[in-house]
Amino acid sequence: MSCEDVRPRLTGYLDGELDADRGSVVRGHLRECAACRQVATDEAALRDGLRQLPHVDPPPSLWAGVQARLAEAEVADARRPAWRRALTRWLPSAPRFAAGTLVAATAVGVLWWRSQRGPDGDVATQPEPTAIATAPTTPRMSQTHVVVASDRGEPDVTADLAGEAGRVTASYGDAAEELLALAGEVRGQWTEEQRTAFDARVAELRGTIASAADGHPRQRAWRDLIRYLQNAVVRDEIAFAGGGQ
Amino acid sequence: MSRGSLAIVCALAGVAAAEAPAQPTTPAPSNPGLIERSRLEVQPGGRAIHQLSIENPLGDVKIEGYDGTSIQIESRKQAPDEEALDRLRISLVPNPDGTVRITTTADGGKEFKTLGRSQVRIDLLIRAPRDARITAALSAGSLEVNNMDAGGDLGTSSGPISVRNVSGGVSTHSVSGATSITQVFGSVDAQTISANLDLDTIGGERLIASANRGQIAGRRVRARDVELTTVTGKIFLEAETSLRGRLVVSSLRGDVDVKLRRQGAISIRARGSKVNLGSAAANAKTQQDGWIYSQLGQVNGTSAPALIELRSRYGLVQFAIIE
Repeated sequence: MSCEDVRPRLTGYLDGELDADRGSVVRGHLRECAACRQVATDEAALRDGLRQLPHVDPPPSLWAGVQARLAEAEVADARRPAWRRALTRWLPSAPRFAAGTLVAATAVGVLWWRSQRGPDGDVATQPEPTAIATAPTTPRMSQTHVVVASDRGEPDVTADLAGEAGRVTASYGDAAEELLALAGEVRGQWTEEQRTAFDARVAELRGTIASAADGHPRQRAWRDLIRYLQNAVVRDEIAFAGGGQ
Repeated sequence: MSRGSLAIVCALAGVAAAEAPAQPTTPAPSNPGLIERSRLEVQPGGRAIHQLSIENPLGDVKIEGYDGTSIQIESRKQAPDEEALDRLRISLVPNPDGTVRITTTADGGKEFKTLGRSQVRIDLLIRAPRDARITAALSAGSLEVNNMDAGGDLGTSSGPISVRNVSGGVSTHSVSGATSITQVFGSVDAQTISANLDLDTIGGERLIASANRGQIAGRRVRARDVELTTVTGKIFLEAETSLRGRLVVSSLRGDVDVKLRRQGAISIRARGSKVNLGSAAANAKTQQDGWIYSQLGQVNGTSAPALIELRSRYGLVQFAIIE
């Protein structure tokens, strides 16, 4: 195997994705070829370095900014006349609609043409339209359905379980950011003192989240922040979390 | 053997138990494949079992309290084939201090072919001594706890939670699992993000419940200190006040509807886009801050009235006395 054959397979080899036979061939080539061995070493070092990069959480202002832009877009959309909104929605799909119409028209044409022909190619005197489409397509459709169901690309259960805590934590994080955006809407009605107390408490609770261990402790810390934000947003209860304790 | 103070009686590892465990309430794998049932009993050693911790991200858990001293576990594993079934693990750690921990997982490794999470499940039916406190964490499976006397801390990510006939403090939390708490005699703290909360016959000292995008419905609530909070969901509460009790029902966008069985005097304040205080409206006064105040019953020097606070920034507030 030449260097040109081996190089595209190096990533798969380093990921352990090659089958035993191909993996053995690449390994054999690397033993002999210093240039390819250097490329593999560099790639492995790069990947190790990437893995060691710290995880960076997006700043809370990011989500608030996204929401603000969405709100602006909604307001702008609401101000436009109804016919322009409808046209705007329809225009992006116009090319697809046109293509779909063309395909459908062609299909109908072909079916009509076939239905007009007899077994020997002549135009039939008694067409049999229903037998043309339904009989062969039914099993094909169910076969397609089976393929889709078994090939969903679902991750392996072990990897999926490993990511479970992170997903739950992210859900709590999303809920907290949503509440922070709401707090941004109502904080204008608070006193300066309340706003300062709110910001300080949120910063304190965020600090607790950052220092909490992954998994249940961090989720608990997020829930404490959510409770505090709920009380602040809904009840203007700023100073204390957990219902004024 | 450090853990020898608890005797484990393995009465099983068998298949097809005559008494099948609870049927799974969450969708079963599309291909039922193989099912393995087994039973296990954990006897207390030196110290009685007083805490049971369960982590099952792979299916349902049902816990029933009973008058015995041991923990009886019926498990049901389901997987498409033998190899997948072998990957499913239930680990049991009985500690000498009287705590028992049960966790489930699926073994991983490159030697296994890819197995989707929806293809496997582990369901557990557990009978535990009534006075054991329960800590349980599930994922999408349903969590059910019945007839316990020492409360618990129960959480799921999207599976429903059901608690019935439990004494002691109960804490529940779920991101999107509907939560139902019935006949709990102890303080309750329930939290969901986007699911409904259903509370029935709650008689503890404190009830705190909150939901961001879910509704809260409470019936026969007799807790002394009640706080129900939603951001967008409606709140319906039928409660009974006690002397010096406190009841705070608040929503940002949802309607608030409270029906109260009054014991002694009550002092009400309410604020909403529209407020209907029913029979308490007769002597209601609106203050400059937008709050409407009212009082029912005589307040004397020895008994303070129960305090009722109802609010919805953008929703309706309704209040009625149940005669």
